[in-house]
Amino acid sequence: MIRSTTAGLCLSALLLAAPQARAQQKAEVMHWWTSAGESAAVRVFADQFNKAGGQWVDMAIAGGANARTAAINAMVGGTPPTASQFNTGKQFDDLVENNLLVNLDSVEKQQNWAKIMPPAIIDAVTRDGHAYAVPVNIHGQNWLFTSNAALAKAGAAMPTNFTDIFVALDKLKAAGVVPLAFSGQKTWERGLFNTVLAGQGGGDMFVSFWGKRDVAMVKGPAFRAVADTFRKLHGYIDAGAPGRNWNDATALVIQGKAGMQVMGDWAKGEFSAAGQTPDKDYGCTVLGAASPAYLMGGDVFVFPKQKDAAQTKTQMLLASVLLDPATQIAFAQKKGSIPVRLDLDTSSLDACARKASAWLANPKTQVPANELLSPPALTGAIEDLVSQFWNDPSMTTDTFIARVSSTLAQTF
Amino acid sequence: MTPSGRKPRHLTTARVGLYGFLLISALFFLAPLYVMLVTSLKSMPEIRLGNILSLPQHPNFDAWFSAWSSACTGLNCNGIRVGFWNSVRILVPSVIVSIGVGAVTGYCLSFWRPRGAGVLFAMLLIAAFIPYQVFIYPLVRIFSTAGLNNSLAGIVIVHAIFGLPTMTLLFRNHFATLPIELFKAARVDGAGFWRIFWQIMLPMAVPILVVAVILQVTGIWNDFILGLVFAGRDNLPMTVQLNNVVNSTMGERTYNVDMAATLLTALVPLVVYFGSGRWFVRGIAAGAVKG
Amino acid sequence: MPMAGIRKQRIGSRIPAQLALLPAVLVALVVYVGATTWTVWISMTSSRMLPNSVFVGLRQYESLAENDRWSASVSNIVLFGVLFLAAALIVGFVLAVLIDQQVRAESLLRSVFLYPFSMSFIVTGLAWRWLLDPTLGIEKLLHDIGFAGAHFDWMVRPERVIYTLVLAAVWHASGLVMAIMLAGLRGVDPEIWKAAKIDGLPVWRTYISVIMPMLTGSFATAGVLLATSVVRLYDLVVAMSNGGPGISSEVPAKFVMDHLFERGNVGMATAAATSMLVTVAAVIAPWLYWQNHRKGAAT
Repeated sequence: MIRSTTAGLCLSALLLAAPQARAQQKAEVMHWWTSAGESAAVRVFADQFNKAGGQWVDMAIAGGANARTAAINAMVGGTPPTASQFNTGKQFDDLVENNLLVNLDSVEKQQNWAKIMPPAIIDAVTRDGHAYAVPVNIHGQNWLFTSNAALAKAGAAMPTNFTDIFVALDKLKAAGVVPLAFSGQKTWERGLFNTVLAGQGGGDMFVSFWGKRDVAMVKGPAFRAVADTFRKLHGYIDAGAPGRNWNDATALVIQGKAGMQVMGDWAKGEFSAAGQTPDKDYGCTVLGAASPAYLMGGDVFVFPKQKDAAQTKTQMLLASVLLDPATQIAFAQKKGSIPVRLDLDTSSLDACARKASAWLANPKTQVPANELLSPPALTGAIEDLVSQFWNDPSMTTDTFIARVSSTLAQTF
Repeated sequence: MTPSGRKPRHLTTARVGLYGFLLISALFFLAPLYVMLVTSLKSMPEIRLGNILSLPQHPNFDAWFSAWSSACTGLNCNGIRVGFWNSVRILVPSVIVSIGVGAVTGYCLSFWRPRGAGVLFAMLLIAAFIPYQVFIYPLVRIFSTAGLNNSLAGIVIVHAIFGLPTMTLLFRNHFATLPIELFKAARVDGAGFWRIFWQIMLPMAVPILVVAVILQVTGIWNDFILGLVFAGRDNLPMTVQLNNVVNSTMGERTYNVDMAATLLTALVPLVVYFGSGRWFVRGIAAGAVKG
Repeated sequence: MPMAGIRKQRIGSRIPAQLALLPAVLVALVVYVGATTWTVWISMTSSRMLPNSVFVGLRQYESLAENDRWSASVSNIVLFGVLFLAAALIVGFVLAVLIDQQVRAESLLRSVFLYPFSMSFIVTGLAWRWLLDPTLGIEKLLHDIGFAGAHFDWMVRPERVIYTLVLAAVWHASGLVMAIMLAGLRGVDPEIWKAAKIDGLPVWRTYISVIMPMLTGSFATAGVLLATSVVRLYDLVVAMSNGGPGISSEVPAKFVMDHLFERGNVGMATAAATSMLVTVAAVIAPWLYWQNHRKGAAT
């Protein structure tokens, strides 16, 4: 392939031109991938980088907020890492504004991002026409995982949209199974809300809510229907939901004690750890009206400006390794995400990932996740309201809509 | 050894009631430890079943070995032992410096009272109530100009800074309960500032010193965010690896390893608590203060 | 504590004292006063993830006042604080008194009550959450052994979850209070006991009327330490309920932390921190003033 040949030429040039520079191609990389599965995935990046002449120095910190805090303080304190992980979206806006990041236009041109990546992803890493981050994967945030055993026991069919899902949920309830395994933490309450917003309201409504912050739309009947569906789902969770970790909810589905769970594709890691395979033991799908509305989130790496010019070369090397086709596939296999490049052969990935790749070939299914559309401050404020609405029966839909409208109108 | 002058009684009703109450209290206090222990001895499939109070079917220490030496904490899968000596290297100087400065400051504020002592004490007391994370950003900027970022000296100073309010409070309050005649007598004898501190006041502060050690060892050993930001990659404390084992946002959770890792991390403060016991007895002799 | 006499000493003797105070003064001025001033300044800007200098006046405070989660946090911490302080002080004192009765295995018992303090909440909070989860813990146990109608689901009820936090916090801190009280108790003169016995006072009466007043210092120390941990309460809430269900167990320190880091809203976070600071100062300053002007106070 042209891209890897170019990359290969660049790498050879670097290696031949400055053999002693090889020892200096040390890259301190900050990220939050620390579980066993995530570790195997980041090892793909590290091994490929090391093979290309670099030296990966790992600085892993669990908990996205912790890692980002450490990275920002390191940048501000004068000892920036070579590369740092962020989520695709607006998390690193302030870093760009404060001129702390390296411009990646050369990498973008060289690898022709416009041809291989979804436009929404490219937009998410571009500020003022320049690229400041390298996207490395796409995580789907709004999957529906189902237990085949539980569905069979209840005689329920796999749902396809937000109307027939209630048929399945009722059957599960009647069969004595927990219909919807839920983890009552604010992030996942927002996740469920986003799933209904995209799945019932559609991709356009989703962008209109988080991106355009269209208050008129929020006050309209379609959004109200979404809020009502969201609230209706509350009737199908069990008493232990508040505070539960998402892994424990997945465990319920794994054991057939619950029928379904709404979660991102990282949940596949739990299923694999328990020895289950997609389609055989558990089902996976994304709900939508006409076609699935796939919420694309994911991870990127930013490259803080360094004092030493030689480090910039290392950064470009790392950036190109991350998007190398073989690296992308190997990473996706281990991580459970799908490659951010849509031009690859995904037949070696698991069944759910293959479904996602097929859907994303159609641009209509590509819906940017809320991190790509709204700054963390706005996301947080809405998250609090969604959590209140979910947990407090005394909050009416009218109040919810009113509060959401006034929040969307604020400056963030 | 009769600290309160009463002889030990035989088994009366009151005694039985006393032991009964203590036993029930002990059960309450031990409940979470029980859950953590049995979970750490189970395998993940058994944990997923959700019977948190049941004894393990096939108890094994796999989770413990994994937590110590093979759990993944990022690219490297070497468990939490990686940071053990870093934590020790941070702990010892930090405890000594923070308690030392706090003791001297408390001594100063209670006996010597230079001008502005009241204001200083008020500032420190109010500062103790602020969530210290708010100070991280300004401190990073200050330390960066002083060249202290990412160094052992930096993290020791940070612990001393954040320990100062509570340590000063502890010692000042304790010294305030000692009779002023003791101090006056020493001054009349011609003893200076440091002489009085080392030879008279510090020996009388042994019980509160034990409390201070408990507080600081626990706080500094279990600290995560300050060590992460100020210590530098080469000095990262064990709590960073512990956090990596336990706190994955989107990765699989291995609860047995999490519990084992937490219990292992708690061993150091626990050893200190256990060892501090004899000082509680010893403190009596030093605490008899009838002038 | 009458100190007037000391001041009349020779000038030279004051210098070691002032020198010894230098580290504390430096820290107090540079770090605490300096950083606090900076915090107050930033609370009047529109800072998001990194601090900036765009002045917006009191806009952050207005948002704060209208913020449901902040009002819930404030009322939660007041309720939590009162309950936790009372319970931890009482339980700690009672445990210290009981242990002081020359029980066998005193060392072991002391460790049983003190060990919770040694562990960070990340995982102990999870253990408590499991115990209080109606589908996993105590309620399930009660159902399994036959009490089918028993309920202990405070953890998942918005109006009750705060009490579970108090429970776990008392479990965590009583051991420390016990240690402080024991230090105080062990410093009580044996003569006092003999005198009380001669006077014919029963043991429990001696504790309440004679010993407790002598322990005011210990109570004050323990009280202030507990109070600081109340205002800074964060790890426990995150580990147990994460502020939920909904916002029913949110607390101010978690509000500050979430907005400082995850939500990239430093302006709002510093406004919240400043509000906390002003409240604390408003409570402490009068108390200290009153303390300073009391003659012969034991504290």
